[in-house]
Amino acid sequence: MAKNLTTDVLVVGGGPSGSMTAKWAARHGARVLLIEKRQEIGSPVRCGEGMSKEWLKEVGITPSPRWINLEVEGARIFSPSEKVFEINEKHAGNEVGYVVERDAFDKQLAIDAANAGAEIHLKTAATGLLKEGGRVVGVRAKEFGEPFEIRAKVTIGADGFESQVGRWAGIPTNLALRDMDSCLQYRMTDVDCDVRYCDFYLGTVAPGGYVWVFPKADGLANVGIGVQLSQIQEPAAARTFLDRWIDKHPGYAKGKKIDVVGGGVSISPPLKQTVADGIMLVGDAARMIDPLTGGGIANGCIAGKICGEVAAKAVHDGTPTKEFFQTYEKGWRARLEEKLYRNWLAKEKLCSLSDETFNKVVDALVDVKLEKLTVHNILKAVRDKYPEVTKEFEAFL
Amino acid sequence: MPGKKSLHIESSGQLCVYCGACVGVCPLNCIYLDETRITFDERICTRCEICVKACPVGAIEID
Repeated sequence: MAKNLTTDVLVVGGGPSGSMTAKWAARHGARVLLIEKRQEIGSPVRCGEGMSKEWLKEVGITPSPRWINLEVEGARIFSPSEKVFEINEKHAGNEVGYVVERDAFDKQLAIDAANAGAEIHLKTAATGLLKEGGRVVGVRAKEFGEPFEIRAKVTIGADGFESQVGRWAGIPTNLALRDMDSCLQYRMTDVDCDVRYCDFYLGTVAPGGYVWVFPKADGLANVGIGVQLSQIQEPAAARTFLDRWIDKHPGYAKGKKIDVVGGGVSISPPLKQTVADGIMLVGDAARMIDPLTGGGIANGCIAGKICGEVAAKAVHDGTPTKEFFQTYEKGWRARLEEKLYRNWLAKEKLCSLSDETFNKVVDALVDVKLEKLTVHNILKAVRDKYPEVTKEFEAFL
Repeated sequence: MPGKKSLHIESSGQLCVYCGACVGVCPLNCIYLDETRITFDERICTRCEICVKACPVGAIEID
């Protein structure tokens, strides 16, 4: 039997959100233990690897060629009729960014956490929570299959989309069918991707989601799809729709697949509750994924920094209570909640549009020069060209 | 169990890519992913079939 451990802050999960939380808790003086069930941080990769960049400085991440494949100039939105609307850095408010090597990125964040003083245990899975009088005081775990206990003043659930920790703690994290995408991606070589752009294909090619092409290098790209569970019927829909899309695009149909990854992505409104006595949730485990883009890294890291700081303060003050953790609850919401909610509304609307409407919207956008890409400017462009379509967007006005 | 449909998760690797989509979506939290093995709790599972939809590669069947 492995030896039981005690720590101030226990982080379950060694993805970006977990490492970020561990780093900032350690920096603020807490003893931190991060456990990861896999044998390697960052692998296997379950990610499209496209990432915005304007937030990196805020959380103390220094961009490095070790994990950046390339920097794109913009994003291209393809309508169902494949008219292209280009979003560049200027009108996207610096939100376009990098295509990254996620395993190297995750490892760098774990190194940052270790350098700040966090301990890391691999092959260590949480199997249940330790509770005392309703308060979470650590986890039961297995390290290399050996059961043991870790007692902690603060436990952090950073265990990703398939989070168990939150549910064990009684925090409702269940998703409705319409609030989840089923995703599949191939890494493909010998394809005609454009290294200047991340591409997004909208409409019934990917019901309730989109097809993406994120270039990793000349001729090499992540080609993936997300489909909304409420809009699909047959099993293996993600694979069926992605294969169909590839078949119809000669520049990709000629390519060769060198990797396949699957995954679930939440596209839900923000959770009502992300903390309980002794425990906080962060990142995908807290359903912080942007429901419009499906991106989770930035929000997870931003919330992770706040979570780590609050965890360290709770240890210092001896108050790991649900009430004290409201500092985190309010902190991450002040920073992220409005955009999450707005993008969830936008996603709900987009998921309901017909191909014909998508074509009109993109068509209207292509013809006008937008200075700044705001919902207001988009709607105005659409209204000027296709007034009848604007009715569908009244809720946004 | 009489009257209960049979759920089969193919997790030997022929189809399953161990992504955890089924685990995350299960409303009763009764599917477990252990790196390269997926199991579910027969007693808890109600055969709601949400995991069947969530699986991107069709590795989960109900009959």
